[in-house]
Amino acid sequence: MKYLFNIIIVVLLSYVLISCSSNNKDSRNALLYWCSNNTDEIKFAKINTDEWNKNNPNDQVKYQPVPEGRSSEEIILAAVVGKTTPDIYSNMWQGDVEAYAQAGVLVALDTLKGFLDFLYERCDSVVIEEIKSLDGHIYQIPWKINPIMLIYNINFINDLELTSPPKIYSEFFDASKKFQKDFDGDGYIDRWFGYSEVEVTWWQRFFDFYPLYLAASGGAPLVKNNQVAFNNEYAIEVFSFLQEMYKKNYFSKEKLSARQDVFLAGVTATRFTGPWEIAHAEKFKPKGFEYEYTFMPVPDGHQGPVYTYGDPKNIVIFKTCKYPQSAWNYIKTMIDRESDLKLLEITNQLPRRKNLSSDTFFNDYFTNNPKMKIFADQSVYVKGTDASPVLKEIFDLISQQYEACVVYGEKTPEEAINDAADAVNLLFLE
Amino acid sequence: MKKFKSILFYTALTISALTFVYPFYWMVMASIAPENEIGNLTLIPTSLTLSSYSQMLDKIPIGGAFINSLIVASSITFGVLVFGSMIGYALSKLMFKGRNLIFYVIIFTMTLPFQITLIPQYIIMVKFGWIDTYWALIVPYLINALSIIMFRQYFKSIPDSLIDAARLDGCNELQIIFRILWPNSMPAIITIGIITFMASWNEVLWPLIVIREESLMTMPQLVTLFAVGGRAESQLGVKLASAVMLALPIVLAYLFFQKYFIQSMASAGIKE
Amino acid sequence: MINKKKILPYLLVSPYLVHFMLFVAFPVGFSIVLTFHKWNIISPMEFTGLNNYIRLFNDKTFIRSISNTLIFLVIHIPLQIIVALFLAEILNQKIKLRGAFRGAFFLPVIVSGVVVTILWQQLYGYDTGLLNRLLTGIGIGKIGWLTDPNIAMASIAVMATWKNVGLYIVLFLVGLQTVPTQYYEAADLEGANHLQKFFRITLPMINPTIFMVVILSTIGGFSLFIEPYIMTGGGPLNSTMSAVLYIYKQGFFYYHMGYAATLGLFFAFIILAVVMIQKKFIEKDH
Repeated sequence: MKYLFNIIIVVLLSYVLISCSSNNKDSRNALLYWCSNNTDEIKFAKINTDEWNKNNPNDQVKYQPVPEGRSSEEIILAAVVGKTTPDIYSNMWQGDVEAYAQAGVLVALDTLKGFLDFLYERCDSVVIEEIKSLDGHIYQIPWKINPIMLIYNINFINDLELTSPPKIYSEFFDASKKFQKDFDGDGYIDRWFGYSEVEVTWWQRFFDFYPLYLAASGGAPLVKNNQVAFNNEYAIEVFSFLQEMYKKNYFSKEKLSARQDVFLAGVTATRFTGPWEIAHAEKFKPKGFEYEYTFMPVPDGHQGPVYTYGDPKNIVIFKTCKYPQSAWNYIKTMIDRESDLKLLEITNQLPRRKNLSSDTFFNDYFTNNPKMKIFADQSVYVKGTDASPVLKEIFDLISQQYEACVVYGEKTPEEAINDAADAVNLLFLE
Repeated sequence: MKKFKSILFYTALTISALTFVYPFYWMVMASIAPENEIGNLTLIPTSLTLSSYSQMLDKIPIGGAFINSLIVASSITFGVLVFGSMIGYALSKLMFKGRNLIFYVIIFTMTLPFQITLIPQYIIMVKFGWIDTYWALIVPYLINALSIIMFRQYFKSIPDSLIDAARLDGCNELQIIFRILWPNSMPAIITIGIITFMASWNEVLWPLIVIREESLMTMPQLVTLFAVGGRAESQLGVKLASAVMLALPIVLAYLFFQKYFIQSMASAGIKE
Repeated sequence: MINKKKILPYLLVSPYLVHFMLFVAFPVGFSIVLTFHKWNIISPMEFTGLNNYIRLFNDKTFIRSISNTLIFLVIHIPLQIIVALFLAEILNQKIKLRGAFRGAFFLPVIVSGVVVTILWQQLYGYDTGLLNRLLTGIGIGKIGWLTDPNIAMASIAVMATWKNVGLYIVLFLVGLQTVPTQYYEAADLEGANHLQKFFRITLPMINPTIFMVVILSTIGGFSLFIEPYIMTGGGPLNSTMSAVLYIYKQGFFYYHMGYAATLGLFFAFIILAVVMIQKKFIEKDH
């Protein structure tokens, strides 16, 4: 038996040796900056780092696209687990920050020199309040947003003899009713006014419930200081609205994503989506296809501006960074006015800065890209996510109730919102 | 009357066979049809195009994934054959203390559902730093209980005299295994080789867990993520093209070695 | 020399022992430890006593996922046996092109489940899916194969049958060939018809194969993952959420490692129990 153990130990050791030899690379001299792996953003990162490296020979920054494949959130998590995080990461979804902050892997940026001054220069107080962590520190700097709006097919709106796309729920119902059609008379609807993924995946609610909730409530939070805040009339109104859309078959309950792009194919007249749809539509749209963006629909009698969800991606510094102050100095150059213009020009994504649409510095871009101007105007009324370490689960729990109530009509909106609130409260108790 | 009956019989049989083949045919046709025709496609599209394939090649590194799959599946198959025969040999032809104990442990692990070890195995991979390496894909599969048992059974049927003769000729034990037993165990090697290769080629849950970097993904994983993710930009033909690429290597191998495939998988009674 | 001979067997089996320690014994032990902890891998592990177990028994989705898996088995296994036995019976006659037919039935078996799932997702599509086009063509109307919560799991079970049945046809063919032809000849003399012969002779003779098929499909069914992962994500209304998919979701989506390990452990016991019961039945029958 003794031999046996010796053998085991020898083989075990060799396994360990193999495993150790496989992860020793990378020189640690330059700061490592992970950008997204989107082609345009890589281009942006290259221009920025080249410029910085030219001016700062002693503080070099090396950019690297996030390893492609899975969602960047998963990759970051794998890096945190494996302690291979970069120094700087520029594509952190705001909703993930709180969990990482609590795990102690992010640098509190407000402890860095010059951070707060810069932040107040860039963002208004509402945004700053939004990105503050539960412990009062700030671990992220807002970078860019892609607001969700209503895209619509201009020809269809004209066909319906409407002067403008529907703005409130009742107009939405009317237009939907007129638009719905069964072409071949087989008893099945062949075109729908709108479409939203019915999948229960938590982030699908970024494209229906969440922006509609923000629109209806004037930008109210879902949760605040580890307490449910969404059990209110607005959430119920949104659920009722969408439930009606599905019940009347104005939205298709069937999964349409498994086939061709339904909006471009003219199967639907509208869709809730972001500015990325512009590039997609320009690439795939059929001849004569015309489209435009407008605000998210709101309940009848809604007062005030129409908010929406902005899908914010922010910049963070990981604790593995040895020179956080240098990292911050680099980040500053990445998000100054000139760079923000470059971001717009290269990636067609909006920087999250105040006065974006009124600042004449950006005028030329928006004149050349009128559809982006709509998003810039919207960007004043954009919300990100609430600070909570369990935000994904909250969205998931809401999404489960959404499916049961909105899509399948098994519960009333009141019951569904209540059940979701109860479930989320249980989560906080843990 | 008899002739009529036999026509009916063959028609029914052909229809049921078509049920299994036609969907694949449809998939291939849909992948070379223009995007807007897929919704109405039944037999042949009005025109053929490779645009779905060229778009797919632009979006995902399917060639690299093919190489990854090949490396992973070959290494695993090689390891399973080598280790399986070594262990199977010791268990069938050598006497040593604890032999039966090891045999029963092997049998026991075969009954152990993988669901129980999934999470801790992932954590081991994390601790070893094997996430996003070939190690994570290969090492856990190098030893396979079923193959050990199959080798053990097969070697038992080989007469001891063969081994004793080899020993007299001065062969050492490894030489006995690979020079004497292997040439005499081709059916077992083919069976184990095919089922191991197939199983690792088609494995998808484990790669989904341990590989995040696209350049290291295996084919089924890449195609799965492509199918569920947004990168196909809702283009149906592109998704189907990736599925065709995934099916192609195995189907080609199957066409040539159909008999071996069927025999091997039937004798092991496993799927995938 | 004697010494060397003594070590040798251990050297040969050492890879197995290492593998067993690393990938079986340690994981099982660690898994049990994990079930008493809360751990999201990025923060330190936190001891939570029996919390995970309490949560498990109150987790409606997990209970649903187990009953879904059982529903899958209840549809899949009988269907599989009937179709496989029927086609095997036909192939066992003296027919032309037997190899080609067998090869056709076997084709889906060798293709990756990923391919089959992507393909069937299209066939099951609501408006332009091939099946619904066929059904509307003959006046039946459209069916929400993957979107009707009462049907979706059955649709997946049918697909799984289509994928695996070729293997079981071959297994049954082997079984059928073991039935001595004298039995049939004797039955012919007594004037038995096809059906009588099938139920009186064939079925009892191939009982062992049937049980093998039951066990194999049970184990396969308990690992149902990629089909719902690609096709439905577990929906609609969690009706296709399989236990493995749920464990995957808890573990690798929310990173509830302790809870996922608890689910895995508990589910493994269920699998072992079901397979044991099935084995009991087999032994009793023989």
